[in-house]
Amino acid sequence: MIEVSGLEVRYGAVRAVRNVSLHVGQGELVTVLGANGAGKSSLLLAIAGALTPSRGTLHLAKKDVTGYSPERMVRLGVAMVPETRDVFPDLTVSENLRLGAYIRRAQTSAVNADLQRMYTLFPLLKERQQQAAGTLSGGEQQMLVIARAMMCDPKILLLDEPSLGLAPTIVNQIFEMIVELKATGISILLVEQNATKALQIADRAYVMRLGEIAAQDSAAAIAEASDLRAMYLGG
Amino acid sequence: MVELIQFGIDFLSLGGAYALMALGLVIVYGILRLVNFAYGELIMVTGYALYLVNGTALPWLVMAAFAVFIAVLTGIATDYVAFRPVRAKSVTAVLITSFAFSTLLQNAALLFISPRPRNIPLPDIFSRTVEIGGVITPVRNLLTIAMSVIMLALFAWLMRRTVIGIAMRAAATHFTMARMLGVPANLIISSAFAISGLLAGIVALFWLGRIGSVVPGIGLQPLLVAFIATVIGGMRSLQGAVLGGFLLAFIDTSLNYSLPQDLLKFRDAFTFSLVILILLWRPEGLLKGPASGQRT
Amino acid sequence: MRHILTAIVLLGLIAIIVFGIELTGTRLMVRIATNLCIMLVLVLGLQVFMGNSGILSFAHIGFMGVGAYVSAMLTIPLQMRSMALPDLYPIVAHIEISPYLGILLGGGIAAAVAAALSYPLMRLSDAAAVITSFAFLVVLHTIMLHWSAVTNGPRTLFGLPNITTLPLAAGFAAIAVITALIFKESRIGVLLRASRDDEIAAGAMGANIPYLRWLAFILSALLAGIGGALWGHYVTSFSPKAFYLKETFVVLGMLVIGGPNTVTGAVAGTILVTLAFEGLRATEGFLNSIQLFSKPVIGLTEIILAMAMIVMLSLRPGGFIATREIGDTVMRWFKFRDKTQ
Ligand SMILES: Nc1ncnc2c1ncn2[C@@H]1O[C@H](COP(=O)(O)OP(=O)(O)OP(=O)(O)O)[C@@H](O)[C@H]1O
Ligand SMILES: [Mg+2]
Repeated sequence: MIEVSGLEVRYGAVRAVRNVSLHVGQGELVTVLGANGAGKSSLLLAIAGALTPSRGTLHLAKKDVTGYSPERMVRLGVAMVPETRDVFPDLTVSENLRLGAYIRRAQTSAVNADLQRMYTLFPLLKERQQQAAGTLSGGEQQMLVIARAMMCDPKILLLDEPSLGLAPTIVNQIFEMIVELKATGISILLVEQNATKALQIADRAYVMRLGEIAAQDSAAAIAEASDLRAMYLGG
Repeated sequence: MVELIQFGIDFLSLGGAYALMALGLVIVYGILRLVNFAYGELIMVTGYALYLVNGTALPWLVMAAFAVFIAVLTGIATDYVAFRPVRAKSVTAVLITSFAFSTLLQNAALLFISPRPRNIPLPDIFSRTVEIGGVITPVRNLLTIAMSVIMLALFAWLMRRTVIGIAMRAAATHFTMARMLGVPANLIISSAFAISGLLAGIVALFWLGRIGSVVPGIGLQPLLVAFIATVIGGMRSLQGAVLGGFLLAFIDTSLNYSLPQDLLKFRDAFTFSLVILILLWRPEGLLKGPASGQRT
Repeated sequence: MRHILTAIVLLGLIAIIVFGIELTGTRLMVRIATNLCIMLVLVLGLQVFMGNSGILSFAHIGFMGVGAYVSAMLTIPLQMRSMALPDLYPIVAHIEISPYLGILLGGGIAAAVAAALSYPLMRLSDAAAVITSFAFLVVLHTIMLHWSAVTNGPRTLFGLPNITTLPLAAGFAAIAVITALIFKESRIGVLLRASRDDEIAAGAMGANIPYLRWLAFILSALLAGIGGALWGHYVTSFSPKAFYLKETFVVLGMLVIGGPNTVTGAVAGTILVTLAFEGLRATEGFLNSIQLFSKPVIGLTEIILAMAMIVMLSLRPGGFIATREIGDTVMRWFKFRDKTQ
C-alpha cells in the first residue's frame, strides 16, 4: 500500500529523518519503534503530507504522492492520529467526529452509520456526545482522535503513540481496539514507545535511531533480538 | 426614562455595528493569527460600489446587494494579494503587506474616483424618524439594531450548524490537524475572508448611511473600532469580539453623554489608552480564545 | 574592521551626494537631497527598533510629530509666537531657544515620552504589539489634533525658523548611520537580534528582552524626534496630518524595500524610494500639466510604492539587502579577488 523510499525530513538545519525506506502492505500492521527524538513522528507527519520531505519519494498504491498536501492524502485514504492528540477543544464530541467525515460529508447515511459504529466501539464517547472535546480526559481524547480518524473510512491509518500517558487498563483497551481495526482489513502504521505491546500485535517492525532505520524484521524476530532492545529501545 | 430609552437605542445600534465589525476582523485573525490592516477598506469599497451604481434605475436593495458582493470579492482579493504570498514568512510581513494593500486601495480611490466625498444612494426609510416612548429616533438606528440581531444569529448558525462553519472553528484551533482530516486550507481561509467581507459590507451600508457619502479615508474609523473591540474582547474569540463591540459602544455612548465638549474631542485618545491598558493587563483580551493554533 | 568599512562606505555615499549637489546642483536637487537626508534620519530611527527587535512599530511617526511640535513651540520667534500659538502656556510662551537646541530637545522629549510610556508594551509580541503601537500612533495623533494650545489644533502651524540646510540634514543623517551601526553591533543589538530569531534562547542567555527592546525603542524615538524637528525647520509649517498613516507608509516602505535588518538596507531603501518617488511625482505633475486626463492624477506614487512593497515582501522578504552590510560585501569581494589571483 505505502512505499516510502529514501525519505528525508528537515527542520531548518536539523535532519530529523534521513534516508528512510519502508513499506506497509495491504491489511498489514507495521510498527515503528525508537527512542525519543528518533524521528518517528516526523516520519509519520511526512507520510500524512503535513511535512514536505526534502528528499525521497512516497508512493501510495503504486501512485507517486510525494509532496501532496494533507487534505489530498486524506482523500486518498490516509488518516493520521498525531501524538499531540489534537482534538478541537471547543467543538463537541459529535462535531469532532462529524468533521472526521469531512471528505464524505455528502454521504449522509453512511456517515451516520459510521458515527453509530464509533459510538458502539467507544461507548464512553457516546455518553459525552454533546460535551466540548476540550473537557474530556486524556484517555477519552485519545479515543476520540482515533474514532475521528476512522470516520473518514481510511485505507491506511497512521497512529502516533496512541498509548502515550494513559493508564495501563486504557492502554490495553486501545491495543485491543487496534487489533479490531486491523481485522476490518485496513493497513496500520503504528509508532510506539511501548515496544513490548506493539510487537505483540504487529506483523512487522522497524527500529529507528537518530533519524535512520537501524533494523527491520518480523515483529517476532525483533522481539527476540535482546541486544537490539538494549541498544535502541531502552530495555 | 426618556433618557434611558434614548441611551439604549444609541448604545444598541452602535454596539451592533461595532460587534459585526469586530467579528469580521476576528474571523480572519482566529484562523490565521494575522491582522488584516486592509479591513477598513472593505467599508470604503462598499461605499464606492454604491456610488458607482448611484443613479441607475435599480431598486436600492439590489444596489446594496451588489455593493456587499463587491466587499466580499475585495475580502477574498485581500487574501490573494496581501496574505497568500507572505503568509508563511512572518507575522510582520503580513502586517506590512496588508497595510500596503490598504494604502493601495485608498489611493486607487483617490486616483480613479476623487479625493472629495461622493454621495451614495440611500433608501428613503433611512432618513425617517419614529417616536418610541417619547423619544424621537431615526428609523435607521432601529434598522441597525434589527440587522445586527439578524446577522449575529445568521453568523452563529453558520458557525455552529454548517460543515464549513464547524471546519472553520476547528481550523482556528489546530489548522494542520483540520487539514489532516481533509479540510482544505485554502477553502477555509477564503471563506473566512469572504465572511469578513460580508460582515463589513453589511455594516458599511448602515455606517455610511449615517454620513450619506464616502471618501477614500472612510475605512480608518471602522478599522480602529474593530481593533479596539477585538482587543478588549479577546482577539481570538468570536464571542469576545461581540462582547468587545458592545462594551466599546457602551463606553463611547457613555462618554458622549457625560464628557464635556472640549474633552469629547479626545475621546479616541481615551478609548485607545484604554486598549493599551487592557492589553497590558491581559495580552489575550478579556475572553481567552480557544487553544493554540498555527499558521500555514 | 568590516563595521568601520560599512560606516565609511555609507558616510562616503552621503558625502558624495551632498558635495556633488552643493557644488553643481539646482535648487530642485538640493531640495531632493535635503529631503533624502531627513528621511534617512527617520528610516534609520525605525531600523534601530524594527531591524533589531523584529517588531513592527507604527508609533514611530508619532514621535516624529512630537519632535517637530516640541521644537516649534520653543523656537518660533516671539513676535510670531502670539499669532502662531495664541493659547500657549505662559511658562513656555516667552522662551525662545536656538533652533539647533530645539532640534535636539525635540529628539530628547520624544525619547522621554517613549521612555515613560512604552516599557509595558515591550512585553507584548506579534499582533498585540502591533495593535498597541498603532493605538499609540492614534493617541499621539489625536492629541496633536486637539491640543490647540501647543499644536494650533488641526490647523497649520507656521513660523518655524528655516535652519535646515543640506549640510545640517546630512550631518544628522551621518550621525544616524553611525548610531544605527553602533547600536546594531553593540551587545544590546546582538542580543535583541538573537531574541528575534529565538526569544526563549536569548532569554536563557540572561537577556532581559523587554528591557532591551525598550532601550531600542527609546533610541528609535530619539532619532524620530530629531528627524521630525529637522523636517519642521525645513518646511517651516505643518499640521498634524503630516504625522500619520501616509508618512508611516512611506517610511515603512523605504525600510522594507531596502531591508529592515541592515543599516545598509535602510540607507539603500531610502535613496531608492526617494528617487523613485521624485520620478513618479514628476510624472504625476507632468500628466497633470498636459491634462491628459480630465481629473488631476494623484495617488499614483503611493499605489506603485504599495505594489513594490508587496512584491518585495513576497519575493525577497528581507528586502534588497537582507543580511550583509556593505562592509561585509566589500571585504568578501576583496578576499575572493585575492584568492583567485
Ligand atoms: N518543529 C520542529 N522544529 C525543529 N526541530 C524539530 C521539530 N519537531 C521535531 N524536531 C526534531 O526532530 C527530531 C525528531 O523528532 P520527532 O518528534 O520526529 O521524534 P520522535 O521519534 O517522534 O520522538 P518521541 O518519541 O519523543 O515522540 C528531534 O531531534 C526533534 O528535536
Ligand atoms: Mg514522536
